[in-house]
Amino acid sequence: MKEINLQNTLPQVFVSEHIPASDVWNAEVTFSRGTICLVEAESGGGKSSMCSYIFGARRDYVGKILFDRRDVADISMDEWLKLRRTSLAYLPQEMSLFPQLSAWENVQLKNRLTSHFSDRQLADFFERLGIASRCDYPAGRLSIGQQQRVAIIRSICQPFDFLLLDEPVSHLDPNNNEIAAGIILEEAKKQGAGIIATSVGNKIALPYDKILKL
Amino acid sequence: MIRKLLRRNTSPARVVGFVLSNFIGLTIVLGALQFYRDAGSIWTSEDSFVKSDYLIINKRVTTSNTLGGATSGFTDEEIADIKGQPWCRKVGLFTSCKFRVYAGLQSGDRTMTTSLFFESIPDEFVDVPRQQWEYRSGSNEVPIIMAKDYLTLYNFGFASSAGLPQLSEGLMGSIPMTLRLSSEHGEQVLNMHGRVAGFSNRLNTILVPQQFMDEMNRTLGSGVTRQPSRLIIDVSSPGDVAITQYLESHDWEVAGDKSASSASFLLRVIVGIVAGVGGLITLLSLFILILSISLIMEKNRDILHSLLMLGYDAGGVGRPYIMLAVTASVVAYLLSVVAILAMRAYYLTPIEGLGGVPTGLAGTLLIGLVLTGVIILLNVVTVRRRVRASFYK
Repeated sequence: MKEINLQNTLPQVFVSEHIPASDVWNAEVTFSRGTICLVEAESGGGKSSMCSYIFGARRDYVGKILFDRRDVADISMDEWLKLRRTSLAYLPQEMSLFPQLSAWENVQLKNRLTSHFSDRQLADFFERLGIASRCDYPAGRLSIGQQQRVAIIRSICQPFDFLLLDEPVSHLDPNNNEIAAGIILEEAKKQGAGIIATSVGNKIALPYDKILKL
Repeated sequence: MIRKLLRRNTSPARVVGFVLSNFIGLTIVLGALQFYRDAGSIWTSEDSFVKSDYLIINKRVTTSNTLGGATSGFTDEEIADIKGQPWCRKVGLFTSCKFRVYAGLQSGDRTMTTSLFFESIPDEFVDVPRQQWEYRSGSNEVPIIMAKDYLTLYNFGFASSAGLPQLSEGLMGSIPMTLRLSSEHGEQVLNMHGRVAGFSNRLNTILVPQQFMDEMNRTLGSGVTRQPSRLIIDVSSPGDVAITQYLESHDWEVAGDKSASSASFLLRVIVGIVAGVGGLITLLSLFILILSISLIMEKNRDILHSLLMLGYDAGGVGRPYIMLAVTASVVAYLLSVVAILAMRAYYLTPIEGLGGVPTGLAGTLLIGLVLTGVIILLNVVTVRRRVRASFYK
C-alpha cells in the first residue's frame, strides 16, 4: 500500500456538532508511505477514532477512507485480517495486551503469526527498553509505562506499510521515549514504511515530516 | 498459547452435561432403531410366501346366512368398492376348484389318502421364485403351498393318535404326493404328482398356481361360476385404521395371523414414540452445546476481538471451539455405540430364540454418524458467526 486518503471524513457523532477547524476532519488528507506524520489533538478530538477507522476496527464515520484509491468500505473481514498481518501495524492507546499472559508471551503472540523477528532480536528490544527483567511477568501486573514498552515491541513485529501509533509514549519518560522512537524509526526505515502517530501532549520523539491538527 | 486464551471460561460441567445428554439422546434414538430392525424380523421374516402388505379377507360365516342359504361370496360390486378404496393397491380373487381332489401320501409301506381341495390366487401375489411356482401345461407335476396349520394338525392331532410318523416341513417336501383329480361325477380322471413348495402361516388354504387351476377347471369343472369367497388385497399400510373400520362396517374378517400384524404395528408405534423422545433429547443436547459454546465465546469476546485486531485469521480463532464441539460430539457418539452394543448383546439371544433374524449395525451407526455430523456442522456455523460478530467491538 502506498498511500492512505481521508476524504471529508468525520466521526458520525460529530456530524450534528459544530467542530473547530481541523486538518483531518472534513478535509482532504493523504498519508504516504515513507513519511512520518504527527496528528495532534485535544482529548476527545477523535484521534483514536481516526486510528480505528484506518485500521478497520470501526465504521462509524461519514466521508471516505481510501487505500491506494480503493474505498476501505469494500474491504472484507478476511482481507482486513490479512492487512493486519502484512501491511498495517497498530498500537492502540489502550494497548490491548492480554493481562494473563506474560510480557514475552504477548509479544510472541504476534511474532509467531508473522515470524518477523528472531527471539534474539526480541530479547534485544526488551533489553534496550529496560524491561528484560519483566519478560515473564504477567502483563496485567506491569506498570502502564512498562506495558507501553511491551506494546511498542509487539506493534512492530510484522511487515507494514503504515504504522499507527495512538499515544504510544503517554506514560514514558523522555529517555525511554528516545529509545522507543529509535527502535520504531529503525524498523520503519528498514521497511520504508510511513508512520502516523497521535498525541495529546507527550509525543514520541520522531523526525516528523508533517504535523496535523485534529 | 492461543488455546490457553480461548479456552478460558470453558465450563467442564456444561461440556459434560452436553456429552451426557447427547449420549442419552443418541443411545435412545439409535437403540430404538436398532431394536426395531432386529426385532421386526420376528414378524416379517416368518412368511416368505405372502408379503405383509397383503390382507386376506372373507365374509363372516354366521348361522343365519348358513340357514338362509346366502352365499359367502363377494359380489362384483363389493369387489369394485374395495378397489375404489384409497388404501387398496390391487385386489386378487381366490379361485376355488370345481373338481374333486384325492391326495395320497406314501409313508413307508403305508399309503394315506384323503379328500382335498385346492384354491389359487393370481401369481403376482405369491412371493415365490418363478421356477418354483410354475405349472407347465401338460406336465403332471404341480407345486403346492400348504397352510402350516394343516401340517400341525396332522403331526399333533392325527399322526400321534393314529400311530403315524410325524413329518417335518423338509421331509414333507420330499415325500411324493399322488393326486387324483376327477370331475364332479367321476367321468374324467387325471393322475398327477404334487410337490410341496412350502408352508405358509398366513394363507389358510392349499394353494396351486393360477394357470393349473384355470386349466383343470376348464377340463374337469362343471362350468358353474361361483363368486370368490376370499379376496387378497395389496394395501398401502396394513396398520391403517381406515381398513379395520371399512372391514368392520361390512362385517368382513381378515384371515391369517392377525396377531403378527398388530404386534408389528404396536412395535412400530412404540419404537416411534421412544425414538421421538430420544430425538427430542438429542435436539435439546444440541441446544445445550450451541448455547454453552456461544456463552464461552461471548465471555471471551474481548479476547477474540483482540486476536482479530492482531490479525489472527477467523478460522484459526474459532478452531479451539470447533475442536471442543467435535471432541464432545464424537465422545458422545462413541459412548452411545458402546451402549448399543451392550444393549444388543443383552437382547439378541431372546430375539433369535423367537425366530428373529438380526440385521447388521451398519445402518444404525451410519444414522448416528449423520446426526453427529449435523450437530458438529451446526456448531461450526455458530462458532463462525460468533467469531465474525467479535470483529467489531
